[in-house]
Amino acid sequence: MARLHRQPGCVVTALLVPVLSLASPPWLGLDGVPPAWAVLWLLPWALVDGPVSGAVAGIALGLVLDGLSLGGVSQIPALLLLGWWWGRLGRRPPAIQRTLNLGLLAWIGSVTVGLSQLLQLLIQEGWSFDPWMRSWGLQTLLCQTLVTALLAPMLVSMQLLLWRKRGTS
Amino acid sequence: MGASLWPGNGRWRALGRVAPWLALLLGLLMVRLSKGAGFADAYALLSRPFWPGPAQREWVSSAASLEDQARLSLLEQDNQRLRDLLELQRNSGADSTVAAAVISRQPRGWWQQLELGKGSLNGISVADAVLGPGGLVGRVQSVTPTTARVRLLTAPGSEVGVWLPRSRRHGLLVGLGTHRPQLRFIDKDLDVRAGDLVSTSPASTLLPPNVPVGVIQSVDERAVPAPRAVVQLIAAPEAIDWVQVRID
Repeated sequence: MARLHRQPGCVVTALLVPVLSLASPPWLGLDGVPPAWAVLWLLPWALVDGPVSGAVAGIALGLVLDGLSLGGVSQIPALLLLGWWWGRLGRRPPAIQRTLNLGLLAWIGSVTVGLSQLLQLLIQEGWSFDPWMRSWGLQTLLCQTLVTALLAPMLVSMQLLLWRKRGTS
Repeated sequence: MGASLWPGNGRWRALGRVAPWLALLLGLLMVRLSKGAGFADAYALLSRPFWPGPAQREWVSSAASLEDQARLSLLEQDNQRLRDLLELQRNSGADSTVAAAVISRQPRGWWQQLELGKGSLNGISVADAVLGPGGLVGRVQSVTPTTARVRLLTAPGSEVGVWLPRSRRHGLLVGLGTHRPQLRFIDKDLDVRAGDLVSTSPASTLLPPNVPVGVIQSVDERAVPAPRAVVQLIAAPEAIDWVQVRID
């Protein structure tokens, strides 16, 4: 079985997530909203390395991304849940590798992260959103899920291919 | 054979295997608690060759002179009144500015923030006002030795007290995530209309006084419990490469 977390070369690729989140290339966003980079990295990692590694990677990414953002809401719960769930999916045959499946899983992941953030904002605002804020939340959620799901077939397929090869070699 | 007689050995070996990962998690927890100090500084170091050039800085300087002209007229109007207020602006003369490059920009999305290429080593501290060409863009939310994170006025949760010079009213500028923040009033009877200038309060001690912020775009007089207005900011964070941080 593949053990990605024992290969420093694979672990180091996680640094791309905070770097891309900070660099935030505008040509890789939709209406200024960047993709959920954490989802695009965590999905192939958890599928290859299993639920425990996926959950731990989710917590680790969440800690770093929460540290690099304004705060107020956290990505850790959603990333932890997704890492565990995708890890369990990866353990079941047949192996997930079709582009449509990967895009769909990334879309679900992005929706989960976005909804968890919206829910936390809603709690902070006392369970009532200003209409402007509601429209901003839904627009951000829509843009982020769309761009993440569109990028996933390309990026996640490539990572899966590389990491499965490294895991079996 | 002998080693297996010790029941604690397996547990210690397992702990030894997990220890590096626990150390890593502890390290990441430190990153979280320090608001990404190591990561932000490393990013600033790595991205230094790609920072915006000096031409943009000159452009900001020329825009700043225009901003000064707008401020001058506001200051003249308020000068006489402020003379009666005892030492409210005693620190305004001691303020200085630090020009800083924007090294990371997230004007949209869940967090609306700027990352600046200067930090506490340059005298920037939390809650300092950040000015773009034309007016206020936000306030410093956290600092590392070489970087500073700015909460934009448009960010959800951002609240800044502002002043309407024409009608002499106070209001609260609230960020809602959209690129036009909302201005909330306390009074019901207002003499506010579209096109009115919004600035920081002349009596403000938290922000530099009389700094232009934006222009009222529309007013909803039927809002409950008090009227609200939509404000178009003068300094658009999407297009800013250099900012000035007003340090005390």
